[in-house]
Amino acid sequence: MSDSQKRILDLLAEKKISVDEAQRLLSLTGPDKDTGTQGPQESARPGGKPRYFRVQVQPEAGSGKESVNVRIPMALIHAGIKLTSLIPGHASEEVNEALREKGIDFDVRNLKPEDFEELVAALTDLEVDVKGGREKVHIYVE
Amino acid sequence: MNYPPLLMRLGIGRRRFPVWLPLFLLWPVAAALAIVLAPLVLLAALILWPSVWGKLVLLSGPILLRILSALRGLELNLNLGSRLLQISFK
Repeated sequence: MSDSQKRILDLLAEKKISVDEAQRLLSLTGPDKDTGTQGPQESARPGGKPRYFRVQVQPEAGSGKESVNVRIPMALIHAGIKLTSLIPGHASEEVNEALREKGIDFDVRNLKPEDFEELVAALTDLEVDVKGGREKVHIYVE
Repeated sequence: MNYPPLLMRLGIGRRRFPVWLPLFLLWPVAAALAIVLAPLVLLAALILWPSVWGKLVLLSGPILLRILSALRGLELNLNLGSRLLQISFK
């Protein structure tokens, strides 16, 4: 609960404003507008750290029944990145080469846990929706 | 503190009910095995320390534990027409 909401409730308790006025003022303040924090009953995304990376592939209506729904904990991705720091140099080269063959020019040795934190922070506000001919792909964090 | 998942739900094919596997039964056995193998792992790490594999052997246990703990919440639901795969860790 924000300070302004507490103040409104205090004014109501002191009978300086009516219930209707308090209700109107509370609706104007919205859900914890001042602090940006949210209660546990609300979505954890805007205020909190995302916990899962989600990929959903849903078929368009009448185009078959194939679907994919994957929920990956961020902690698992984090653990995987930690693991890359232990990969020996020559093994990293092989991974890089395999990625290059797929058209991805990326050096796995450059992957650092600090970068991941930054990436996760950026992902919080990101949602990717791709509508293809037969399916809809939805990528987001929650 | 994170701890490894206690249950794994596995559904393959068109089974109506997925199978719940009690992973919590495995962890005491795995912990006992880890304690027994710890001296051997330390020895292997010492021997391999001059090469790049020493650090990997030494840190393999903690990293494995971290990955196992991070599995909690993982969900895979693949419905590929005739094939169906459901895996989740609780």
